[in-house]
Amino acid sequence: MNAQQRYQAERKRRTGLLLGMLGATLLLAILFLFAGRYPTAGFRFPTDWSTNAITRSIFLRIRLPRIVLALLAGAMLSASGFTFQMLFSNPLVEPGFLGVSQGSAFGAALMIVLGVGSTIFVQLSATLFGLLALLASYTLATRFRFGGWLLRLILSGIAVSALFSSALGVVKLVAEPTKDLQDITFWMMGGLWNASWGQILSILWVVILSMAILLGYRWKLNLLSLQEKTSFSVGMNPKRDRIILLIVATVGTTVTISITGLIGWVGLITPHLGRKLFGSDSSTSLPGSMILGSFFLLVCDTIGRTVLATEIPIGLLTSFIGAIIFIIILSLKHQEGKA
Amino acid sequence: MNALTVNHLSFTYPSGTKALDDISLSVGESQSVAILGSNGAGKSTLLDILLGWKKSAEVSLYGKPLCSYGRKELGRTLALVPQSEQYNFSFSLLDYVLFGRSPYLSQLGTPSEEDAEIAYQALYDVGLARYAERHITTLSGGEHQLLLLARVIAQQSSMLLLDEPTSALDPANRKRVLTILKQLHMKGKTLLFTTHDANLAYDLASHVAMIKKGTLLCYGPKEEVVTTTTLTTLYDTELTVGKIGTKTLIY
Repeated sequence: MNAQQRYQAERKRRTGLLLGMLGATLLLAILFLFAGRYPTAGFRFPTDWSTNAITRSIFLRIRLPRIVLALLAGAMLSASGFTFQMLFSNPLVEPGFLGVSQGSAFGAALMIVLGVGSTIFVQLSATLFGLLALLASYTLATRFRFGGWLLRLILSGIAVSALFSSALGVVKLVAEPTKDLQDITFWMMGGLWNASWGQILSILWVVILSMAILLGYRWKLNLLSLQEKTSFSVGMNPKRDRIILLIVATVGTTVTISITGLIGWVGLITPHLGRKLFGSDSSTSLPGSMILGSFFLLVCDTIGRTVLATEIPIGLLTSFIGAIIFIIILSLKHQEGKA
Repeated sequence: MNALTVNHLSFTYPSGTKALDDISLSVGESQSVAILGSNGAGKSTLLDILLGWKKSAEVSLYGKPLCSYGRKELGRTLALVPQSEQYNFSFSLLDYVLFGRSPYLSQLGTPSEEDAEIAYQALYDVGLARYAERHITTLSGGEHQLLLLARVIAQQSSMLLLDEPTSALDPANRKRVLTILKQLHMKGKTLLFTTHDANLAYDLASHVAMIKKGTLLCYGPKEEVVTTTTLTTLYDTELTVGKIGTKTLIY
């Protein structure tokens, strides 16, 4: 087999794996449509579809939008995490590390407390403060006089996260305890129980556009993980491209979490798993990670809404499962070297 | 036509430090030029300017102002071998060499089978073809340098800029890198490299530019320029240019 044939064969293998995983995730999504606690807990195929309006409503207005949102949010959070990791050339970075999640949380909580709790304002505020947090982290990192670029960036991210966390604490302190505080608390834990077609449509175009841009750059992301001078020398415009992709990934993340609440670990874990399965070349590991993100969130959400009589917030599950996977990956990395 | 013309180039950093002062030199096509100087002389700043990384209106490439080149056009004309490269993701060797094909792809394009063939050939040229699927993080220091060369070979640009190409190599790897660079020069590539190693400069270059504290001491064919006097002035220490058989040695 010559070089071209080997390259072609490897590409075919990766494309086949991608399509297989996509098919499996979609199949699982259809299967999970029948999982729930109505009329009884477990998998139930409706026999009274045509006669029972409640059954139709539960399937079409509650479970289906929720599953669609899990697929969309998982893919978007994973794509953003992956992009951050490549842009900062650090496999341990995700939007949360640079204060974006805390900034968004503050923005959303602020709107809830101010009584402007409509989805569009919460989305706008979460996005705005998420971007502001990113800008603050980036600017602070350029001004710090300690350590290398990555260390400075992570330190400034910690500082910005802490600032927004304390601001969020103040907002929670003044929040009306019976409603606003509960809303904020549930938002902080993440959840898809409020998923509706209206909410999905309100973020769909931003999420699709963000994912399309990131997927468009999927190969160039490799180059942006190198030293800036190297990526410049192979015809890239690293400064411009980094800014564009950072904004796209941040907007995609903040718009998504503005309706799902904070869902951690997806953007950290699934890119790692994607690279394990597809190799480090982001042209296949980015779409692979996005499918894994969808799969991960779909499974977590289904567990969260079916296992107990009361719903387990998805953010708790992603954190729990994500942390376990993270420990396993890091233990494996110890043997293999880098990501 | 000259491949490169630098005309009265000066450069001052925003902090006020003057790095280069009134540098002028011209490099013919297929020449091999060493920029020789001690640490902190301004060699890397000059290389950054020639790469287009730092902007300057005083540099022309193939008769056209460097600043008027588009990014991809410049990538097809100039390639950089940095002193070192940091990898935080374990790309395969083939993945990494394919990065050199970037100037030939559209904004959102991915490499084709033809690009892969060129990348394999580049790996073959530096003796790493059998490791094409290996992870980059498993390479030794010498193999890293060979990989950097493979990437710029795949980039197929007419001029190579090399920043201290052999400074961190053991003698065996240094010899391998030098052999490859000489082969590239024989194939018509214009080489421009920085070094503080006068022996390397004499061995690889046809012309030598000596830079001291940001100013050009001398520039010309190595036989005329590299002398006991110029080297002693350049390094502020006594150096001798001698011969052992046909080989010139600086000590």
